[in-house]
Amino acid sequence: MAGTTRDPLLPTHWFNILHDRPQYVASALPRSQLAGLEDMAGHGLQLQQPFSLARQSLNTADRFIPIPGEVLDRYAQYRPTPLRRAVRLEERLGVNARIYYKYEGANLVGSHKLNTALAQVHYYARAGVKRMVTGTGAGQWGTALAYACQIMGLECTIFWVRSTLRQKPVRGDMMRLFGADVHESPSDLTEVGRRAFTDDPAGIGTLAVATGEGLAFAAEHRETRFAIGSGENSVLLHQTVIGQEAVAQMDLLGEFPDCVIACMGAGSNFGGVALPVLGAAEDRERPVRLIAVESAACPKLTRGRYRYDLSDALGTTPITKVYSLGSTYVPPPVYAGGLRHHSAGPLCSAMYADGSLEAMAIDQDASFRAGLLFCQTEGILPAPEAAHAVAGMIDVVSRHPRHEDPLVVLVNISGHGLLDLGAYQRFTVGEIEAVAVDEASLAKSLGALEDFNQRIAQPAEAT
Amino acid sequence: MVTGDNSSKTVVQPKLDRSQAKMLVSDVLAAVIPGLKAEAVDERQELYADLGMDSLRFVQLLVELEGRLSVHLVDEDLMTIDLVNVADLIDLVERISPSAGE
Repeated sequence: MAGTTRDPLLPTHWFNILHDRPQYVASALPRSQLAGLEDMAGHGLQLQQPFSLARQSLNTADRFIPIPGEVLDRYAQYRPTPLRRAVRLEERLGVNARIYYKYEGANLVGSHKLNTALAQVHYYARAGVKRMVTGTGAGQWGTALAYACQIMGLECTIFWVRSTLRQKPVRGDMMRLFGADVHESPSDLTEVGRRAFTDDPAGIGTLAVATGEGLAFAAEHRETRFAIGSGENSVLLHQTVIGQEAVAQMDLLGEFPDCVIACMGAGSNFGGVALPVLGAAEDRERPVRLIAVESAACPKLTRGRYRYDLSDALGTTPITKVYSLGSTYVPPPVYAGGLRHHSAGPLCSAMYADGSLEAMAIDQDASFRAGLLFCQTEGILPAPEAAHAVAGMIDVVSRHPRHEDPLVVLVNISGHGLLDLGAYQRFTVGEIEAVAVDEASLAKSLGALEDFNQRIAQPAEAT
Repeated sequence: MVTGDNSSKTVVQPKLDRSQAKMLVSDVLAAVIPGLKAEAVDERQELYADLGMDSLRFVQLLVELEGRLSVHLVDEDLMTIDLVNVADLIDLVERISPSAGE
């Protein structure tokens, strides 16, 4: 592809936090330490990801990793994304703060997910893979992957969490326009899907099950691989174009954030904006607060436990230590489907464990209120996930004392909410009620998580 | 399979024989699997079922091999491998190790 003009503010490299903090490389639990694992004799070891993609998750040698030319050309079609000061929102709130927002909704698929979809499909296509399969929650990841596959000539199969699919069927139409096969999850296409109806008789669906179905589907089909939309270090790496641009854009304005706020599903949107700011803050020897905002219906950081856990319902992916509610937790079907994953990714979990990030949980009704206020003042309707970040940001700036210097905050608006207009409309007429944690499901799932960790044999040096 | 990094190197390792390849595999397995001793590695052991390898450790292992053999592994060739036991891994190392004079 030739002739794409690259803006000087478009980063040419991804920022790799693992160089500065190698302790964040996820260490997986050896399966030999897990008692009672089913007999896996004869099971072969394959590379699930292209080697050059997979090794990005382990790279501690390079602080900056070059973005391949093909990916840069695609980024140049919609990046850099806008950074704006939310002056009208500041006035409406009457707070002692300067609020900046980065807007990732201004691309064809409508969210930050495109940043990693383009990168991943580039590597898979180059490695000779013909079809990508995935699981998606809110559908933004599925849409991004479908688009990236279409422009790079791959087929795409998507397992989409049923509760979200039914909330916004138009997004499914969008995935199909990009040529994807879309299946409701749980489905009867895979054993994982069929089994899921035991814990979830209504078939609401979870991202753990949709992911498990995608993995099972990939294992059963030739030249097919599973792509992950968040959580893994390499995915967070691809998203660091967001934060690098934000730092450069704020530099042009003579600003640097005191505080970065983003919503937390498994961590790619949060990491994408926060990690480069953290790197820049350390270079400049100044403090910065990083705040992850999660859904109160799926409070993996504020109510989860730091344990070894499975990231999907199939259970063949590496077992890493994460903040988790347990992989069988079925969160209520909130509209922020992207925040329903039961665990944070290993990197953000390690950051929460060592105090590098703070977390807060926001109720669905508070998030819709904040999203509407942002729309009415700034003219942008945030996706329900991003509306959680806005609500968290409003909470933070509202607490900032008047006698201190104004607080400079950076909030990431990870996607637009134009396909969620129906949900916003229902909220304005009072048809959406506050959604609480499903305590029964949570207690059962946390119990299963503890049982799972009990099966782990302690390493010799720890006994 | 491999594009040897042969443009600038003047000293190239000779291609490994099987016992050297086995020694290298044992060392690398011991480096990526906590608690595993190199001398305890046996060709018949299964990587997944017996040694507890998973995809993450497998990538660590390939990164180690790439470094120790001074080769550049190509994505496309690695996507089709399917290794059940240590002997399969030794076969892979024999294939990817650079030949003498390369």
